[in-house]
This record gives sequence, structure tokens and C-alpha cells, in this order.
Amino acid sequence: MASAAALSVRSTATVGDFFALLKPRVMSLVIFTALVGIVVAPGAMHPLTAFTALLCIAVGAGASGALNMAYDSDIDALMARTAGRPIPMGRLSREEALGFGYALAAGSVALMWLFVGELAAALLAFTIFFYVCVYTLWLKRRTPQNIVIGGLAGALPPAIGWAATTGSLSLAPTVLVAIVFLWTPPHFWALALFRSDDYARAGVPMLPVVSGKRATRWNIFAYSLILAPLGLTPAFIGLGGPIYLACATALGAWFVWQAAAVLRERDESREPAARRLFGVSLLYLFALFAALLFERLAHVAPLGGWI
Amino acid sequence: MDEQSRAELERRRRSIALALVLGALVLLVFLMSIVKWGGHILP
Repeated sequence: MASAAALSVRSTATVGDFFALLKPRVMSLVIFTALVGIVVAPGAMHPLTAFTALLCIAVGAGASGALNMAYDSDIDALMARTAGRPIPMGRLSREEALGFGYALAAGSVALMWLFVGELAAALLAFTIFFYVCVYTLWLKRRTPQNIVIGGLAGALPPAIGWAATTGSLSLAPTVLVAIVFLWTPPHFWALALFRSDDYARAGVPMLPVVSGKRATRWNIFAYSLILAPLGLTPAFIGLGGPIYLACATALGAWFVWQAAAVLRERDESREPAARRLFGVSLLYLFALFAALLFERLAHVAPLGGWI
Repeated sequence: MDEQSRAELERRRRSIALALVLGALVLLVFLMSIVKWGGHILP
């Protein structure tokens, strides 16, 4: 039987609390990368089908966020960054979030299957499974490689978008996935550098907590050295054109420069370079995908595929 | 506004939001059915 306190918690949940469960900021990046996957893929799709595909990806990402918040509500309450979320604040119960998340996950996959395609639906289901089961329930509290492996879930949306348009996968969407996959560790390790006390308090084994800040800085730098040239790849496989190549070159150099600044950083209490890299990494991914989108919409021909 | 009226107001807002979402979903399914199978799927 539900206690009076639990009933009181349920009764104060606002529409905004349910919306916050969807992690709208994370969702916006997922929507954008999926949109690029849809648009740059060869072939045409009915605009309403494209809208449905994007909606399903957005709702699937939101469902993953809600389930993540439900399963991680105990550690969210211990971290300053996440303590204000609806469940730790007591505005929503864990059970409500679980029901909400699973309903949205099932609904988004079913809708994708019915109206867009089997492959896109299967990829969406795999992405939700990977984020919730592999990342949240298995890796996050066990290994400092949590975000390296778990990053695959956040990297898949461009491939889902591509599969929604073409019904298949190829080298091009794999390269887009690889870019987001290798972008994820330096992005989250930059955050972990200036939030390491938070993660330590919650017992989450992020790299700075387990291996120290020095090792984290070197890892960020190493990943940036791999990411920058990988970011150029779309221009050599017939996906990106001259504008993309110019943007990817400049953005990659900027990313490595900022990662080098993190490596040289001596202010371990405020970590200004890591804060800067966190912002720059967001801009990097957004601008890289925006360049692809712009070229396709402006009918700029891609450079000849070299591979 | 006391806690009970605030809870009542939030419950009403949640109900309206749910109704709007379900309405939009029905419309989307209707339109997508036409896009995918055409307007003559019944014999």
C-alpha cells in the first residue's frame, strides 16, 4: 500500500518534471545528429516519415534519459550537478519515472517499426538497451571505461537516421558514429575533471577518480589526436565537400589546441581549461554536423570519394 | 494557494498534457497510415 508520503510525492509532479526526465539538452544533440543522418543519406523520404523518424529517435533518447534518472536516482542525489533532478528532489517517484521511461521506449520503437522501417527500429531498440542496461546498470558504477563503451549509445543516432532514410547501413554512417563515439570520452572526461569531487562522493569510478587527473589529461589529449583526423574522413568518402573539409580541419585543430591546454593546466581546483574544452567539444560536434547539413541543403557537391 | 489546491492544479495540467500528447499521437498515426499505405487500404 502506498504511504501518505509517497502519494504526496506523486501529487506534486509537474508536467515540467516529466519533461526534465527526458534530459532535453542531451536530446537536442541526439535530434541534431540524427537529423543530419536522415538528410545526408542518399534517397528521398516523405517529410512526414522523416518527422516521425526524428520524433521516435527523440522520444527513444528521452526514454533512455528517464530510465537512467530512475536507476541512478541514488547517486544523482549525492552530486551537485544532478541533485536538482525531479527524483532526488522528491517531486517524482522512481516508479513513475520507470513506468514513463519504459512506456516511451516501447512506444517509440513500435512507432518506428510500423511507419519508418525495421532496421531503424532495431537500431533504436538496441540504442535504448545499450544506454540503460549496458551503460547505466552495468558499466557506470564498475569501470572508468564506462563512458568509452557506453558512448556507443549516444553515437548511434546518425546511423538510425541514415537507416530510416535508406533502410540499410554503409561506411558513411559508420564514420559518423565513429566520430561521435571518439568525441564522447574527451567531452565527458573534461566534465569529470571539474566535477571529480562530485563523482568521488557518489562513488562513480570516472577516470579522474580512479586514475587521477594527470592520466585523464593525457587520455583527453590522446583521444583528441585521434578524433581530429577522423573528423576529416567524411570528406574522403564522398560525404563531405570543401566547406566540410575546411570546417573539420579548423575545428579539429581547435579541439587539439584546447586539449593541449587541459594537459598543461595547473589550476586543479577550478580547472578552467577543462571547462573551456567541455564547451568547445559541444561546439565542435555541432559545427561538424552543421557543415554536413549545410552542404547537403545548399547542394554543395561532396569531394570525390577516395576510399 | 495551499498544497492540496496546488496538487489538484498540477493533476489537471498533467491530464491536459497527456490528452494533447495522445491526440497528437492519434493524428500522427492516422496521417502516417495514409502516407505508408495510401488512402485506399480498405476494400
